Amino acid sequence: MLGFLLVVLLIPYLIAAYGLLFVKLRWGLRLFGAFIVITIGLLTAMFLVEAYPIIARDGVAVFLQTGWDPVRESYGVLQALTGTVLTSAVAMALAMPMALGVAVTINEILPARWRGVFGSLVDLTATMPTVIYGLWGLFVLGPTLQSLVNTLTRDTMTSPYTLFTAGVLLAIMITPYAAAVIREGYALVPKPVEEAIYAVGATRFEAALIKLRYVRNYILGGFFLALGRAMGETVAVAMVVGGNFVRFTTNIFESGITISSLIALQFPNAASYQYMVPALFAGALLLTLFGLAINAVAIYIIQRGQI
Amino acid sequence: MTAERKAGDTTAVRMVINWLGLGLFALLGVAAVVPLFLIIGDVYIKGIDAINRLGGLWHFLTGLPPTPYEESGGIGPMLVGTLYMTVLGALLGIAVGFPLGVYIGEMRREKFSNVARAGINVLVEFPTIVIGLFVYAVMSLAKEDLNRYLLDPFSNAISPVGGWITQFIGPLDGFNAYAGAAALSIIMIPYVALITASAYASIEQPLREAAYATAGREFNALFVVLRKAVSRAVLTAALLGTAKIAGETAPLLFTAFGNFYYGPFTGPTAAVPLWVWYAAQTPYEVQIASAYGAAAVLLTIILTVFIIARIRG
Repeated sequence: MLGFLLVVLLIPYLIAAYGLLFVKLRWGLRLFGAFIVITIGLLTAMFLVEAYPIIARDGVAVFLQTGWDPVRESYGVLQALTGTVLTSAVAMALAMPMALGVAVTINEILPARWRGVFGSLVDLTATMPTVIYGLWGLFVLGPTLQSLVNTLTRDTMTSPYTLFTAGVLLAIMITPYAAAVIREGYALVPKPVEEAIYAVGATRFEAALIKLRYVRNYILGGFFLALGRAMGETVAVAMVVGGNFVRFTTNIFESGITISSLIALQFPNAASYQYMVPALFAGALLLTLFGLAINAVAIYIIQRGQI
Repeated sequence: MTAERKAGDTTAVRMVINWLGLGLFALLGVAAVVPLFLIIGDVYIKGIDAINRLGGLWHFLTGLPPTPYEESGGIGPMLVGTLYMTVLGALLGIAVGFPLGVYIGEMRREKFSNVARAGINVLVEFPTIVIGLFVYAVMSLAKEDLNRYLLDPFSNAISPVGGWITQFIGPLDGFNAYAGAAALSIIMIPYVALITASAYASIEQPLREAAYATAGREFNALFVVLRKAVSRAVLTAALLGTAKIAGETAPLLFTAFGNFYYGPFTGPTAAVPLWVWYAAQTPYEVQIASAYGAAAVLLTIILTVFIIARIRG
């Protein structure tokens, strides 16, 4: 009944919001603003309710134990949590230098008429469907990385689909998000500051370094925004991460799992087990809390450091 | 003399470091976009070949997907589902996102508008699978009562219109196109809102005063006069948002679910990204080929929308 009311009340709510726009504009606009806040509140509440059975049964242990054994109705998401942390770490280590490179290339190196084109290409990288990244990772990137790593080291990568593959693919996907924030800050460096840098005889490279230090808040903000993306990315990661949701591993050259790909891969058969749906919702709750925390930090950093 | 030579040396060293450093930055920057070309090349080379092998372009765009034992097939149901859900989701996303953007862009001095802005900033970065799960949870709670009290009587009342209406309106399954569209619209709302807000915030003060002076009511000032000043940016936002949601897979996994056949939109609905996700992971060569063909079609749609948005914007 609650869900029914929720869906049915949505229609009068939107009609009221539109109606108020004509009658009392500010209250109409406030209703639209409230819509977004209510959505986020409902989302968190909904996951708490759905995850309640497994949290009531296991407590916080569901987040701290490894092993995913539907037959024994025993669920732990620690291996997925570790996988999320490892893939995000690989992704961030590769993506941040590239994002800095993009910002400097656009603002310092390229001639003015090529900047728009290059910027559009970076934006297109962000717009590309994630499932196409997954497809490419599955058939091109995975096998290539495996042969590359196995030539450099001695056969450490036994499968093309590992946490490392997922991390590299993620790095390509999240670079534009970090780059967008850094570019925004970089373009805001005041002209007098730029003139002062060149006036003391700095080369272009030194000027770029000083400007990057000047916008370090944006770099940090971009880091956290990209990290949020990396932790939540689902489809592309699920296609290349290997789908090993049973065995706990901290070796990035082995198959693993992340929280979001655990949800994507296990949900289709979750309904057959009593506690699996709550366990997956517990994973979603974890993702939500991470998302809220990381984005709050990022927004705080960017707003505090606004030039 | 020595001091002069030393100065000359450090200048030379600094020039070398300058070129090496700039070169490194350029290399990293280029490394960020090289995969884009590799991906587009890979998808089109394998995709066009696959479309030709599976029975030509027309058959591929309208036919049913191939079973593992067939030689030909297409993505007809997926294309229809994707278009339907994307259009619905985009309309809903613009309808809510635009006023929301006006609110956070124009009423910046209100405390609550800053709360709403923070909410939008969080929502735009939210994992899309979480939004899909949210819609799934609401749907599974609401479905039975919704059908019993609302949709069953309503579909009986409108049944004289003809059988075709049951394709669009009727008792809902747990997975349906409307849940998919709802999830897509929640993803679209913050995109549109943020770009609308920054467009409204960049309007110059004299223009704003002129709008308020001539329009009479605040509604007319904001939504009629000033809208014309930002319509281009908002249109670009709408197009880019549409391109984004057309390719979303994760929010559709538990809302539209996917389907192999043409079906009513009240039941599980197929979508191109869902088919790429499913078919790429099967072991059958013909289905993998159709995944590449579907990816090529999806990429064409998204590139077209993206280029239109860039040329107009």
